[in-house]
Amino acid sequence: MSYLSTTDFTEDQPFVDRFERMLRGDLDLSWLDAPRERVTCRPENARRGLTFRDLDVGSYGFTDMPELIRENRSFAPRGAAMPEGLPDLQAEVNRKSEVWAYNVEGYYEEAMTRQWNATTDIPWAELQSVELPEDIGKAYAQLLTFLTEVEMIATDVPAKWMGRLNADFFEVKNFIATQAMDEARHAEIFRKRALSTGWGLMRASAQNEFNLKFLRDADSFAEASLALHLQAEGMVLTLFRFSEYISPTEGDKKLFRLVMQDEARHVGYGMQHLKWVLDHFPERREAIHHHLDEAENFVFGGGYATEVLEPFIILSGKGLKKENIAEGVRITNAFQLKQADEYFERLAKCGLPERRERSRLWKMIDLRKQTMAA
Amino acid sequence: MPAVSAPPPLRFPSRDFFEALREAMRAERERFSRLGFFDTTFGVRISSDDGGEPAEFALRFEVFDCVGVESLAGVETDFVVEGPFAAWREMLDTIHALGAADTAHSLNTLTHFGEQLRVRYDDPDGHDKLYRFAESIQEFFDLSARLDFAYPDGSRPPAARAERQRSAR
Repeated sequence: MSYLSTTDFTEDQPFVDRFERMLRGDLDLSWLDAPRERVTCRPENARRGLTFRDLDVGSYGFTDMPELIRENRSFAPRGAAMPEGLPDLQAEVNRKSEVWAYNVEGYYEEAMTRQWNATTDIPWAELQSVELPEDIGKAYAQLLTFLTEVEMIATDVPAKWMGRLNADFFEVKNFIATQAMDEARHAEIFRKRALSTGWGLMRASAQNEFNLKFLRDADSFAEASLALHLQAEGMVLTLFRFSEYISPTEGDKKLFRLVMQDEARHVGYGMQHLKWVLDHFPERREAIHHHLDEAENFVFGGGYATEVLEPFIILSGKGLKKENIAEGVRITNAFQLKQADEYFERLAKCGLPERRERSRLWKMIDLRKQTMAA
Repeated sequence: MPAVSAPPPLRFPSRDFFEALREAMRAERERFSRLGFFDTTFGVRISSDDGGEPAEFALRFEVFDCVGVESLAGVETDFVVEGPFAAWREMLDTIHALGAADTAHSLNTLTHFGEQLRVRYDDPDGHDKLYRFAESIQEFFDLSARLDFAYPDGSRPPAARAERQRSAR
Protein backbone atom coordinates (compact mmCIF):
# COMPACT_ATOMS: atom_id res chain seq x y z
CA MET A 1 0.00 0.00 0.00
CA SER A 2 1.78 3.15 -1.14
CA TYR A 3 -1.17 5.46 -0.58
CA LEU A 4 -2.75 5.70 2.88
CA SER A 5 -5.71 7.73 4.03
CA THR A 6 -4.77 10.68 6.23
CA THR A 7 -7.78 9.81 8.41
CA ASP A 8 -8.68 6.63 10.27
CA PHE A 9 -12.42 7.02 9.84
CA THR A 10 -13.47 4.53 12.49
CA GLU A 11 -11.57 6.63 15.05
CA ASP A 12 -12.85 9.98 13.74
CA GLN A 13 -15.70 10.81 16.18
CA PRO A 14 -17.24 13.75 14.22
CA PHE A 15 -17.36 11.51 11.12
CA VAL A 16 -18.94 8.64 13.05
CA ASP A 17 -21.49 11.03 14.66
CA ARG A 18 -22.46 12.45 11.28
CA PHE A 19 -22.82 8.94 9.85
CA GLU A 20 -25.13 7.93 12.71
CA ARG A 21 -27.26 11.11 12.34
CA MET A 22 -27.72 10.37 8.66
CA LEU A 23 -28.88 6.83 9.38
CA ARG A 24 -31.45 8.26 11.80
CA GLY A 25 -32.84 10.32 8.88
CA ASP A 26 -31.15 13.62 9.69
CA LEU A 27 -29.95 14.37 6.13
CA ASP A 28 -27.51 17.09 5.10
CA LEU A 29 -28.82 17.62 1.51
CA SER A 30 -26.32 20.40 0.72
CA TRP A 31 -25.46 18.63 -2.58
CA LEU A 32 -29.06 19.29 -3.70
CA ASP A 33 -28.44 23.04 -3.62
CA ALA A 34 -25.36 23.07 -5.82
CA PRO A 35 -26.26 25.30 -8.80
CA ARG A 36 -26.17 23.09 -11.87
CA GLU A 37 -26.61 23.71 -15.56
CA ARG A 38 -29.70 21.92 -16.82
CA VAL A 39 -29.56 20.82 -20.43
CA THR A 40 -31.61 18.93 -22.96
CA CYS A 41 -29.88 16.09 -24.79
CA ARG A 42 -31.67 14.16 -27.50
CA PRO A 43 -30.41 11.81 -30.19
CA GLU A 44 -29.81 13.82 -33.35
CA ASN A 45 -30.46 10.62 -35.27
CA ALA A 46 -32.86 8.23 -33.53
CA ARG A 47 -31.47 5.22 -35.42
CA ARG A 48 -28.00 5.97 -34.06
CA GLY A 49 -29.11 6.42 -30.45
CA LEU A 50 -27.84 8.92 -27.88
CA THR A 51 -24.20 9.63 -28.75
CA PHE A 52 -21.39 11.58 -27.10
CA ARG A 53 -21.90 14.22 -29.79
CA ASP A 54 -25.48 14.66 -28.57
CA LEU A 55 -24.04 15.44 -25.12
CA ASP A 56 -21.76 18.20 -26.40
CA VAL A 57 -23.77 20.91 -24.66
CA GLY A 58 -22.86 23.68 -22.26
CA SER A 59 -20.34 23.00 -19.53
CA TYR A 60 -20.75 19.24 -20.09
CA GLY A 61 -19.58 19.47 -23.69
CA PHE A 62 -16.12 19.13 -25.21
CA THR A 63 -16.18 21.81 -27.89
CA ASP A 64 -15.57 24.65 -25.46
CA MET A 65 -13.07 22.79 -23.31
CA PRO A 66 -9.99 24.97 -22.76
CA GLU A 67 -6.59 24.01 -24.15
CA LEU A 68 -5.13 23.74 -20.64
CA ILE A 69 -7.14 21.99 -17.94
CA ARG A 70 -6.11 23.84 -14.81
CA GLU A 71 -9.23 23.47 -12.70
CA ASN A 72 -9.93 19.76 -12.62
CA ARG A 73 -7.12 17.76 -11.05
CA SER A 74 -9.44 15.02 -9.78
CA PHE A 75 -11.75 12.41 -11.27
CA ALA A 76 -14.70 14.79 -11.15
CA PRO A 77 -16.63 14.10 -14.36
CA ARG A 78 -16.45 17.10 -16.68
CA GLY A 79 -19.29 19.47 -15.79
CA ALA A 80 -19.85 18.13 -12.24
CA ALA A 81 -19.70 20.46 -9.23
CA MET A 82 -16.27 20.26 -7.62
CA PRO A 83 -16.36 20.73 -3.85
CA GLU A 84 -13.38 21.77 -1.78
CA GLY A 85 -11.04 18.97 -0.84
CA LEU A 86 -10.99 16.88 -4.00
CA PRO A 87 -7.61 15.17 -4.28
CA ASP A 88 -5.03 16.13 -6.86
CA LEU A 89 -4.67 12.88 -8.79
CA GLN A 90 -1.70 14.27 -10.72
CA ALA A 91 -2.80 13.60 -14.25
CA GLU A 92 0.27 13.75 -16.48
CA VAL A 93 -1.49 15.02 -19.58
CA ASN A 94 -3.53 18.19 -19.12
CA ARG A 95 -3.18 19.86 -22.51
CA LYS A 96 -6.06 19.18 -24.90
CA SER A 97 -3.93 19.33 -28.03
CA GLU A 98 -1.76 16.50 -26.69
CA VAL A 99 -4.66 14.05 -26.87
CA TRP A 100 -7.60 15.43 -28.80
CA ALA A 101 -8.60 14.41 -32.31
CA TYR A 102 -11.23 15.67 -34.70
CA ASN A 103 -14.23 13.31 -34.42
CA VAL A 104 -12.82 11.38 -31.46
CA GLU A 105 -16.38 11.02 -30.15
CA GLY A 106 -17.43 9.48 -33.47
CA TYR A 107 -14.57 6.97 -33.42
CA TYR A 108 -15.65 5.92 -29.94
CA GLU A 109 -19.26 5.30 -30.98
CA GLU A 110 -18.11 3.41 -34.06
CA ALA A 111 -15.79 1.28 -31.92
CA MET A 112 -18.58 0.40 -29.52
CA THR A 113 -20.95 -0.76 -32.26
CA ARG A 114 -18.31 -2.61 -34.27
CA GLN A 115 -17.01 -4.86 -31.48
CA TRP A 116 -16.82 -8.55 -32.40
CA ASN A 117 -15.94 -11.78 -30.68
CA ALA A 118 -12.85 -13.80 -31.51
CA THR A 119 -14.35 -16.92 -29.97
CA THR A 120 -17.66 -16.97 -31.82
CA ASP A 121 -17.38 -14.82 -34.96
CA ILE A 122 -14.78 -16.94 -36.75
CA PRO A 123 -15.72 -20.31 -38.31
CA TRP A 124 -13.14 -22.21 -36.25
CA ALA A 125 -14.52 -25.65 -37.09
CA GLU A 126 -14.35 -24.86 -40.82
CA LEU A 127 -10.81 -23.51 -40.43
CA GLN A 128 -9.65 -26.65 -38.69
CA SER A 129 -11.09 -28.84 -41.42
CA VAL A 130 -8.60 -27.31 -43.88
CA GLU A 131 -5.14 -28.82 -43.56
CA LEU A 132 -2.44 -26.46 -44.74
CA PRO A 133 0.69 -27.78 -46.47
CA GLU A 134 3.67 -27.78 -44.12
CA ASP A 135 5.52 -24.84 -45.67
CA ILE A 136 2.39 -22.69 -45.78
CA GLY A 137 1.27 -23.79 -42.33
CA LYS A 138 4.60 -22.99 -40.70
CA ALA A 139 4.97 -19.66 -42.49
CA TYR A 140 1.45 -18.73 -41.46
CA ALA A 141 2.09 -19.77 -37.84
CA GLN A 142 5.25 -17.61 -37.84
CA LEU A 143 3.28 -14.60 -39.16
CA LEU A 144 0.65 -15.18 -36.47
CA THR A 145 3.35 -15.42 -33.79
CA PHE A 146 4.73 -12.05 -34.86
CA LEU A 147 1.25 -10.51 -34.91
CA THR A 148 0.46 -11.83 -31.42
CA GLU A 149 3.66 -10.25 -30.14
CA VAL A 150 2.78 -6.91 -31.77
CA GLU A 151 -0.79 -6.86 -30.49
CA MET A 152 0.21 -7.53 -26.88
CA ILE A 153 2.25 -4.33 -26.78
CA ALA A 154 -0.47 -2.52 -28.71
CA THR A 155 -2.77 -3.43 -25.79
CA ASP A 156 -0.30 -2.24 -23.18
CA VAL A 157 0.35 1.19 -24.72
CA PRO A 158 -3.18 2.68 -24.64
CA ALA A 159 -3.81 0.99 -21.28
CA LYS A 160 -0.65 2.58 -19.88
CA TRP A 161 -1.75 6.08 -20.89
CA MET A 162 -5.44 5.83 -20.02
CA GLY A 163 -5.06 6.63 -16.34
CA ARG A 164 -2.51 9.36 -16.99
CA LEU A 165 -4.87 11.59 -18.96
CA ASN A 166 -6.84 14.31 -17.23
CA ALA A 167 -10.39 13.14 -16.47
CA ASP A 168 -11.78 15.99 -18.58
CA PHE A 169 -10.52 14.15 -21.69
CA PHE A 170 -13.34 11.69 -21.15
CA GLU A 171 -14.01 10.91 -24.83
CA VAL A 172 -10.32 10.22 -25.54
CA LYS A 173 -9.99 8.00 -22.47
CA ASN A 174 -13.03 6.03 -23.56
CA PHE A 175 -11.73 5.73 -27.11
CA ILE A 176 -8.36 4.37 -26.01
CA ALA A 177 -10.19 1.99 -23.68
CA THR A 178 -11.90 0.54 -26.77
CA GLN A 179 -8.53 0.40 -28.46
CA ALA A 180 -7.01 -1.58 -25.59
CA MET A 181 -9.94 -4.02 -25.89
CA ASP A 182 -9.52 -4.24 -29.68
CA GLU A 183 -5.81 -4.98 -29.38
CA ALA A 184 -6.38 -7.56 -26.65
CA ARG A 185 -8.88 -9.28 -28.95
CA HIS A 186 -6.33 -9.20 -31.78
CA ALA A 187 -3.69 -10.84 -29.57
CA GLU A 188 -6.33 -13.42 -28.62
CA ILE A 189 -7.37 -14.22 -32.18
CA PHE A 190 -3.81 -14.48 -33.52
CA ARG A 191 -2.82 -16.79 -30.67
CA LYS A 192 -5.92 -18.93 -31.25
CA ARG A 193 -5.27 -19.12 -34.97
CA ALA A 194 -1.56 -19.92 -34.50
CA LEU A 195 -2.41 -22.83 -32.24
CA SER A 196 -5.29 -23.99 -34.43
CA THR A 197 -3.00 -24.32 -37.47
CA GLY A 198 -1.44 -27.23 -35.63
CA TRP A 199 2.03 -25.68 -35.85
CA GLY A 200 1.67 -23.59 -32.72
CA LEU A 201 3.67 -20.51 -31.92
CA MET A 202 6.96 -20.14 -33.78
CA ARG A 203 9.81 -17.70 -33.04
CA ALA A 204 9.59 -14.32 -31.27
CA SER A 205 11.18 -11.40 -33.10
CA ALA A 206 14.01 -9.62 -31.29
CA GLN A 207 14.28 -6.79 -33.81
CA ASN A 208 10.58 -6.12 -33.59
CA GLU A 209 10.59 -6.19 -29.84
CA PHE A 210 13.07 -3.29 -29.83
CA ASN A 211 10.56 -1.39 -31.94
CA LEU A 212 7.73 -2.38 -29.60
CA LYS A 213 9.73 -1.20 -26.60
CA PHE A 214 10.22 2.14 -28.32
CA LEU A 215 6.42 2.40 -28.69
CA ARG A 216 5.78 1.47 -25.09
CA ASP A 217 8.37 3.78 -23.58
CA ALA A 218 7.44 7.01 -25.40
CA ASP A 219 7.99 10.08 -23.22
CA SER A 220 4.61 11.63 -23.92
CA PHE A 221 1.16 10.57 -25.08
CA ALA A 222 1.60 12.67 -28.24
CA GLU A 223 4.78 10.73 -29.11
CA ALA A 224 3.16 7.41 -28.23
CA SER A 225 0.16 8.22 -30.41
CA LEU A 226 2.28 9.37 -33.33
CA ALA A 227 4.37 6.20 -33.29
CA LEU A 228 1.54 3.81 -32.39
CA HIS A 229 -1.63 5.05 -34.07
CA LEU A 230 -0.19 6.62 -37.15
CA GLN A 231 3.09 4.96 -37.93
CA ALA A 232 2.93 1.44 -36.48
CA GLU A 233 -0.81 0.86 -36.92
CA GLY A 234 -0.79 2.51 -40.32
CA MET A 235 1.84 0.04 -41.44
CA VAL A 236 0.08 -2.83 -39.70
CA LEU A 237 -3.17 -1.86 -41.46
CA THR A 238 -1.47 -2.33 -44.83
CA LEU A 239 0.00 -5.56 -43.44
CA PHE A 240 -3.47 -6.83 -42.44
CA ARG A 241 -4.78 -6.06 -45.91
CA PHE A 242 -1.83 -7.92 -47.38
CA SER A 243 -2.45 -10.78 -44.95
CA GLU A 244 -6.08 -10.93 -46.11
CA TYR A 245 -4.77 -10.99 -49.68
CA ILE A 246 -2.49 -13.97 -48.99
CA SER A 247 -4.81 -15.78 -46.54
CA PRO A 248 -5.23 -19.45 -47.37
CA THR A 249 -8.94 -19.80 -46.46
CA GLU A 250 -12.14 -17.72 -46.30
CA GLY A 251 -12.15 -18.03 -42.53
CA ASP A 252 -8.70 -16.45 -42.41
CA LYS A 253 -9.85 -13.72 -44.76
CA LYS A 254 -12.74 -12.92 -42.46
CA LEU A 255 -10.35 -12.87 -39.50
CA PHE A 256 -8.17 -10.27 -41.23
CA ARG A 257 -11.15 -8.20 -42.37
CA LEU A 258 -12.33 -7.98 -38.76
CA VAL A 259 -8.94 -6.97 -37.37
CA MET A 260 -8.34 -4.49 -40.18
CA GLN A 261 -11.59 -2.70 -39.31
CA ASP A 262 -10.34 -2.01 -35.79
CA GLU A 263 -6.87 -1.08 -36.98
CA ALA A 264 -8.22 1.38 -39.56
CA ARG A 265 -10.27 3.06 -36.82
CA HIS A 266 -7.15 3.49 -34.68
CA VAL A 267 -5.29 4.92 -37.66
CA GLY A 268 -8.22 7.29 -38.19
CA TYR A 269 -7.86 8.55 -34.64
CA GLY A 270 -4.09 8.90 -35.16
CA MET A 271 -4.57 10.95 -38.31
CA GLN A 272 -7.20 13.20 -36.79
CA HIS A 273 -5.03 13.63 -33.68
CA LEU A 274 -1.96 14.66 -35.67
CA LYS A 275 -4.09 17.12 -37.66
CA TRP A 276 -5.38 18.53 -34.38
CA VAL A 277 -1.85 18.87 -32.97
CA LEU A 278 -0.56 20.66 -36.07
CA ASP A 279 -3.60 22.96 -36.12
CA HIS A 280 -3.52 23.82 -32.41
CA PHE A 281 0.06 23.29 -31.25
CA PRO A 282 2.17 24.01 -34.36
CA GLU A 283 5.37 24.49 -32.39
CA ARG A 284 5.44 20.70 -31.95
CA ARG A 285 6.20 20.18 -35.66
CA GLU A 286 9.96 19.77 -35.14
CA ALA A 287 9.51 17.46 -32.17
CA ILE A 288 7.22 15.32 -34.34
CA HIS A 289 9.86 15.05 -37.05
CA HIS A 290 12.52 14.08 -34.51
CA HIS A 291 10.30 11.39 -33.05
CA LEU A 292 9.45 10.05 -36.50
CA ASP A 293 13.17 9.90 -37.36
CA GLU A 294 13.72 7.35 -34.62
CA ALA A 295 10.39 5.59 -35.11
CA GLU A 296 11.23 5.04 -38.79
CA ASN A 297 14.69 3.77 -37.88
CA PHE A 298 13.10 1.10 -35.68
CA VAL A 299 10.46 0.19 -38.22
CA PHE A 300 13.07 -0.22 -40.96
CA GLY A 301 15.02 -2.62 -38.73
CA GLY A 302 11.92 -4.53 -37.69
CA GLY A 303 10.41 -4.80 -41.16
CA TYR A 304 13.41 -6.62 -42.49
CA ALA A 305 13.64 -9.15 -39.67
CA THR A 306 14.05 -12.66 -41.10
CA GLU A 307 11.17 -14.15 -39.14
CA VAL A 308 8.82 -11.46 -40.46
CA LEU A 309 9.88 -11.05 -44.06
CA GLU A 310 10.37 -14.69 -45.00
CA PRO A 311 6.86 -15.87 -44.05
CA PHE A 312 5.45 -13.10 -46.27
CA ILE A 313 7.55 -14.35 -49.18
CA ILE A 314 6.50 -17.97 -48.67
CA LEU A 315 2.82 -17.15 -48.17
CA SER A 316 2.54 -14.76 -51.10
CA GLY A 317 4.53 -17.06 -53.40
CA LYS A 318 2.48 -20.03 -52.12
CA GLY A 319 5.43 -22.27 -51.30
CA LEU A 320 9.15 -22.85 -51.04
CA LYS A 321 10.02 -23.90 -54.60
CA LYS A 322 12.32 -21.59 -56.52
CA GLU A 323 9.51 -20.21 -58.68
CA ASN A 324 7.33 -19.73 -55.60
CA ILE A 325 10.08 -17.77 -53.87
CA ALA A 326 10.63 -15.56 -56.92
CA GLU A 327 6.91 -14.77 -57.08
CA GLY A 328 6.81 -14.26 -53.32
CA VAL A 329 9.69 -11.78 -53.44
CA ARG A 330 7.94 -9.85 -56.22
CA ILE A 331 4.66 -9.62 -54.31
CA THR A 332 6.30 -8.87 -50.96
CA ASN A 333 8.34 -6.06 -52.53
CA ALA A 334 5.14 -4.55 -53.92
CA PHE A 335 3.52 -4.84 -50.48
CA GLN A 336 6.38 -3.07 -48.69
CA LEU A 337 6.43 -0.23 -51.19
CA LYS A 338 2.68 0.14 -50.80
CA GLN A 339 3.05 0.14 -47.04
CA ALA A 340 5.57 3.00 -47.18
CA ASP A 341 3.59 4.94 -49.78
CA GLU A 342 0.42 4.81 -47.70
CA TYR A 343 2.28 5.87 -44.54
CA PHE A 344 3.80 8.96 -46.19
CA GLU A 345 0.50 9.73 -47.92
CA ARG A 346 -1.26 9.80 -44.55
CA LEU A 347 1.39 12.07 -43.04
CA ALA A 348 1.08 14.47 -45.97
CA LYS A 349 -2.69 14.61 -45.57
CA CYS A 350 -2.29 15.36 -41.86
CA GLY A 351 -0.14 18.39 -42.65
CA LEU A 352 3.39 16.96 -42.88
CA PRO A 353 4.00 16.95 -46.65
CA GLU A 354 7.70 17.68 -46.06
CA ARG A 355 8.16 14.36 -44.27
CA ARG A 356 9.12 12.51 -47.46
CA GLU A 357 12.02 14.87 -48.09
CA ARG A 358 13.28 14.65 -44.52
CA SER A 359 12.88 10.91 -44.06
CA ARG A 360 15.77 8.47 -44.38
CA LEU A 361 13.20 5.69 -44.64
CA TRP A 362 11.69 7.38 -47.70
CA LYS A 363 15.17 7.68 -49.24
CA MET A 364 15.71 3.93 -48.76
CA ILE A 365 12.32 3.19 -50.28
CA ASP A 366 12.96 5.52 -53.18
CA LEU A 367 16.30 3.87 -53.82
CA ARG A 368 14.63 0.48 -53.83
CA LYS A 369 12.00 1.68 -56.29
CA GLN A 370 14.74 2.89 -58.62
CA THR A 371 16.62 -0.41 -58.30
CA MET A 372 13.46 -2.37 -59.06
CA ALA A 373 12.63 -0.16 -62.03
CA ALA A 374 16.15 -0.67 -63.43
CA MET B 1 -57.14 -15.94 -66.09
CA PRO B 2 -54.01 -14.57 -67.77
CA ALA B 3 -50.76 -16.29 -66.85
CA VAL B 4 -48.55 -14.28 -64.48
CA SER B 5 -45.05 -14.09 -65.88
CA ALA B 6 -41.97 -13.89 -63.68
CA PRO B 7 -40.43 -10.42 -63.52
CA PRO B 8 -37.48 -9.99 -65.84
CA PRO B 9 -34.10 -10.38 -64.18
CA LEU B 10 -32.26 -7.32 -62.98
CA ARG B 11 -29.51 -6.12 -65.21
CA PHE B 12 -25.90 -5.67 -64.11
CA PRO B 13 -24.68 -2.98 -64.16
CA SER B 14 -27.71 -0.83 -63.39
CA ARG B 15 -29.12 1.33 -60.67
CA ASP B 16 -31.86 -1.26 -60.18
CA PHE B 17 -29.22 -3.88 -59.35
CA PHE B 18 -27.78 -1.76 -56.53
CA GLU B 19 -31.29 -0.77 -55.36
CA ALA B 20 -32.02 -4.49 -55.07
CA LEU B 21 -28.87 -4.95 -53.00
CA ARG B 22 -30.05 -2.11 -50.82
CA GLU B 23 -33.38 -3.89 -50.29
CA ALA B 24 -31.59 -7.16 -49.53
CA MET B 25 -29.50 -5.31 -46.93
CA ARG B 26 -32.65 -3.85 -45.39
CA ALA B 27 -34.05 -7.37 -45.05
CA GLU B 28 -30.88 -8.33 -43.17
CA ARG B 29 -31.01 -5.41 -40.76
CA GLU B 30 -30.21 -7.45 -37.69
CA ARG B 31 -27.11 -8.92 -39.29
CA PHE B 32 -25.83 -5.51 -40.39
CA SER B 33 -26.70 -3.91 -37.05
CA ARG B 34 -24.48 -6.47 -35.42
CA LEU B 35 -21.61 -5.43 -37.70
CA GLY B 36 -21.98 -1.89 -36.38
CA PHE B 37 -22.18 1.70 -37.61
CA PHE B 38 -21.46 1.89 -41.30
CA ASP B 39 -21.00 5.50 -42.38
CA THR B 40 -19.47 6.05 -45.77
CA THR B 41 -20.33 7.06 -49.29
CA PHE B 42 -18.40 5.30 -51.99
CA GLY B 43 -18.56 4.93 -55.73
CA VAL B 44 -18.51 1.95 -58.05
CA ARG B 45 -17.37 2.35 -61.65
CA ILE B 46 -17.81 -0.49 -64.13
CA SER B 47 -15.91 0.13 -67.34
CA SER B 48 -17.49 -1.07 -70.51
CA ASP B 49 -15.75 -3.81 -72.49
CA ASP B 50 -16.47 -2.04 -75.76
CA GLY B 51 -14.96 1.29 -74.75
CA GLY B 52 -18.32 2.91 -74.10
CA GLU B 53 -19.19 5.09 -71.13
CA PRO B 54 -18.64 3.39 -67.76
CA ALA B 55 -21.60 2.66 -65.48
CA GLU B 56 -21.11 4.70 -62.30
CA PHE B 57 -23.07 4.75 -59.07
CA ALA B 58 -22.64 6.27 -55.63
CA LEU B 59 -23.72 4.13 -52.66
CA ARG B 60 -24.51 6.01 -49.49
CA PHE B 61 -24.45 4.18 -46.14
CA GLU B 62 -25.55 5.61 -42.82
CA VAL B 63 -25.84 4.00 -39.38
CA PHE B 64 -26.81 0.43 -40.37
CA ASP B 65 -28.37 0.96 -43.78
CA CYS B 66 -27.79 1.78 -47.39
CA VAL B 67 -29.67 5.08 -47.60
CA GLY B 68 -29.07 5.99 -51.19
CA VAL B 69 -28.11 4.75 -54.62
CA GLU B 70 -27.47 7.56 -57.05
CA SER B 71 -25.49 8.64 -60.05
CA LEU B 72 -21.83 9.13 -59.18
CA ALA B 73 -21.50 12.45 -60.99
CA GLY B 74 -21.12 15.31 -58.54
CA VAL B 75 -21.25 13.13 -55.41
CA GLU B 76 -18.43 13.53 -52.89
CA THR B 77 -17.19 10.02 -52.10
CA ASP B 78 -14.65 8.52 -49.72
CA PHE B 79 -13.33 6.25 -52.47
CA VAL B 80 -14.34 4.74 -55.78
CA VAL B 81 -13.90 1.05 -56.65
CA GLU B 82 -13.40 0.75 -60.38
CA GLY B 83 -12.50 -1.86 -62.91
CA PRO B 84 -13.41 -3.53 -66.16
CA PHE B 85 -16.76 -5.23 -66.54
CA ALA B 86 -14.99 -8.61 -66.80
CA ALA B 87 -13.48 -8.24 -63.31
CA TRP B 88 -16.82 -7.25 -61.77
CA ARG B 89 -18.48 -10.13 -63.58
CA GLU B 90 -15.94 -12.64 -62.32
CA MET B 91 -16.51 -11.43 -58.75
CA LEU B 92 -20.30 -11.60 -59.05
CA ASP B 93 -20.23 -14.99 -60.77
CA THR B 94 -18.19 -16.42 -57.90
CA ILE B 95 -20.46 -14.93 -55.27
CA HIS B 96 -23.54 -16.23 -57.06
CA ALA B 97 -22.13 -19.73 -57.37
CA LEU B 98 -20.72 -19.98 -53.87
CA GLY B 99 -23.02 -17.76 -51.81
CA ALA B 100 -20.12 -15.45 -50.91
CA ALA B 101 -16.73 -14.45 -52.29
CA ASP B 102 -14.01 -17.09 -52.27
CA THR B 103 -10.36 -16.47 -51.35
CA ALA B 104 -9.54 -15.08 -54.78
CA HIS B 105 -12.53 -12.74 -55.04
CA SER B 106 -12.96 -10.82 -51.80
CA LEU B 107 -13.05 -7.09 -52.44
CA ASN B 108 -9.80 -6.52 -50.53
CA THR B 109 -8.02 -9.21 -52.53
CA LEU B 110 -9.28 -7.88 -55.86
CA THR B 111 -8.26 -4.30 -55.03
CA HIS B 112 -5.12 -4.79 -52.92
CA PHE B 113 -2.59 -4.39 -55.70
CA GLY B 114 -5.04 -2.94 -58.19
CA GLU B 115 -4.65 -6.01 -60.38
CA GLN B 116 -8.34 -6.60 -61.08
CA LEU B 117 -10.16 -3.71 -59.42
CA ARG B 118 -8.65 -0.41 -58.32
CA VAL B 119 -9.50 2.01 -55.55
CA ARG B 120 -9.39 5.72 -56.40
CA TYR B 121 -9.36 8.33 -53.64
CA ASP B 122 -8.22 11.84 -52.84
CA ASP B 123 -8.08 11.58 -49.06
CA PRO B 124 -6.32 8.63 -47.36
CA ASP B 125 -8.73 8.98 -44.45
CA GLY B 126 -11.59 8.36 -46.90
CA HIS B 127 -9.67 5.46 -48.45
CA ASP B 128 -9.22 3.88 -45.02
CA LYS B 129 -13.03 3.65 -44.69
CA LEU B 130 -12.86 0.77 -47.16
CA TYR B 131 -11.02 -1.06 -44.36
CA ARG B 132 -12.88 0.45 -41.37
CA PHE B 133 -16.07 -1.05 -42.82
CA ALA B 134 -14.48 -3.98 -44.65
CA GLU B 135 -16.75 -6.71 -43.35
CA SER B 136 -19.94 -4.68 -43.90
CA ILE B 137 -18.90 -3.85 -47.47
CA GLN B 138 -17.98 -7.47 -48.23
CA GLU B 139 -21.27 -8.75 -46.82
CA PHE B 140 -23.16 -6.10 -48.82
CA PHE B 141 -21.67 -7.38 -52.09
CA ASP B 142 -22.14 -11.00 -50.96
CA LEU B 143 -25.90 -10.32 -50.88
CA SER B 144 -25.79 -10.35 -54.70
CA ALA B 145 -25.82 -14.17 -54.39
CA ARG B 146 -29.56 -13.80 -53.76
CA LEU B 147 -30.37 -11.63 -56.74
CA ASP B 148 -31.77 -12.80 -60.03
CA PHE B 149 -29.79 -10.83 -62.58
CA ALA B 150 -28.39 -10.93 -66.08
CA TYR B 151 -25.50 -9.28 -67.88
CA PRO B 152 -25.94 -6.98 -70.89
CA ASP B 153 -25.49 -9.88 -73.33
CA GLY B 154 -28.36 -11.73 -71.64
CA SER B 155 -26.16 -14.34 -69.95
CA ARG B 156 -26.67 -15.15 -66.29
CA PRO B 157 -24.29 -15.81 -63.42
CA PRO B 158 -23.83 -19.52 -62.62
CA ALA B 159 -26.46 -21.11 -60.41
CA ALA B 160 -25.66 -21.74 -56.78
CA ARG B 161 -23.51 -24.84 -56.30
CA ALA B 162 -24.74 -27.44 -53.86
CA GLU B 163 -21.21 -27.91 -52.56
CA ARG B 164 -20.05 -24.44 -51.59
CA GLN B 165 -16.34 -25.07 -51.19
CA ARG B 166 -14.74 -21.64 -51.31
CA SER B 167 -11.17 -22.27 -50.21
CA ALA B 168 -8.65 -21.96 -53.01
CA ARG B 169 -6.49 -24.73 -51.62
